Amino acid sequence: MPNFKEKLIRYQYLIRNIRDFFYSHNVVEVVTPSLLVAPTTDVYIDSIEVSVNHALSKSSKFYLHTSPELEMKRLLAKGSGDIFQICQVFRDNEHGHINSNEFTMLEFYRVGFDMHQLIDDIKALLISLGNDDPVKEISYAEAFYDYAEIDILNSDFEGLKNILESHGLNSDYEWIEDIQMVLFVHLIEPKLKTIPVCFIYDFPKQQAALAQIDGLVAHRFEMYIKGTEIANGYQEIQTSKEYRDRFETELGKRKSLSKSIGSLDEDFLDDLKVGLPSCSGVAIGIDRLFSSLSL
Amino acid sequence: MNYSTSQFKNGMKLMLDGNPCSIVNNEIVKPGKGQAFNRVKFKDLITGKTLEKTFKSGESLEAADVMELEMQYLYSDGEKWHFMDPGSFEQFDLGEESMGTALNYLVEQDNCIVTLWNNNPISVSPPNHVTLEVIDTDPGLKGDTAGTGGKPATLNTGVVVQVPLFVAIGDRVKVDTRTNEYTGRA
Repeated sequence: MPNFKEKLIRYQYLIRNIRDFFYSHNVVEVVTPSLLVAPTTDVYIDSIEVSVNHALSKSSKFYLHTSPELEMKRLLAKGSGDIFQICQVFRDNEHGHINSNEFTMLEFYRVGFDMHQLIDDIKALLISLGNDDPVKEISYAEAFYDYAEIDILNSDFEGLKNILESHGLNSDYEWIEDIQMVLFVHLIEPKLKTIPVCFIYDFPKQQAALAQIDGLVAHRFEMYIKGTEIANGYQEIQTSKEYRDRFETELGKRKSLSKSIGSLDEDFLDDLKVGLPSCSGVAIGIDRLFSSLSL
Repeated sequence: MNYSTSQFKNGMKLMLDGNPCSIVNNEIVKPGKGQAFNRVKFKDLITGKTLEKTFKSGESLEAADVMELEMQYLYSDGEKWHFMDPGSFEQFDLGEESMGTALNYLVEQDNCIVTLWNNNPISVSPPNHVTLEVIDTDPGLKGDTAGTGGKPATLNTGVVVQVPLFVAIGDRVKVDTRTNEYTGRA
């Protein structure tokens, strides 16, 4: 099985080169717990629940982390400085030819970086991994304007519904961000298939997730390689109150979709009371990176 | 009968905007922060056009009552092309607009695939390879070995195919109906 072994070795080199890149930039490797006390609040991501310690008569519930984000932010709030982690993450209800209930994630944070500096850092990482394909950077609004002639930031819910209908698509969606997303999947993503590496930045504020909002946009970006979403990053919000507000908004949406609702991770919110340093962070899907770059 | 996106697979026949369509490609797209979608490429079985639609996962579409039957091409009366199901001896006819490229390749008694929607024929697919007779072509010039493209030949169905220079009137040739290319002498 020479091809199998060759592939394992190529994967080993990828992981090793990622580590070398961060070590040489003095980014510290960390390991954070994967068993968490609270499930993710993300509207469209579901945590996998596990029960432990039955035999000890102290049975309790945990949730496998869907990303190491919150645990790494606790370290940042404690003064860790730049950190990275490579770990397995787990998500329920994700299964398909490029989705899996378990996958490998690279997550890293650079203190003092804004969104564009972090994008530059990822470009440097790709080069250090041996990928020197041309990189395109385009804002979410420009992508919609160039590829679909839609003014995505200034279109309201009804306007976007009409656009969906004009494409013969179902317009039965709950929120404006859902319509923005289906239009992106239908009209923009297929255009990205011919682009080796594409960063889409400044998402509409309704899709801010945990990124800083600035006017109509949030400083959030995604990286696509030949049309496949590989990375998602933010210029991070910094105060405990902002995190609580965003979490509560998401839980409200989960509730209206009749999805399971967990409690908030109060330990995280307590740790964040000192504030997160100004930083940007990103999650990169390693399995997809490996297969799409054929490194 | 309805099929939900989780049951979609290639070749499945579904109703889309009133027309029967066949799934060519079904891609599940789950944006990291968004809900799951199915981006589906369809072929419209009546117009032959391909179209792409994106569905919220869990949406469903009505099944199209489409059957593909092997039939024998009987004859054309100039307006309609007549076919027979050899199992039931039932006859069906199609107009020129539904014949598509099958017009170029079918000779009487040939077998082909006829697609029925609600028991009405909507399209015909010729076999991938057919054998036809050359009814007109220029004589090949002796010693002319420079040309690599060959020469045009008109076959007994009226279709024109590029053939090698040595092919003469009356020869029977094999043609790939998907590419309209000469593949050899019969």
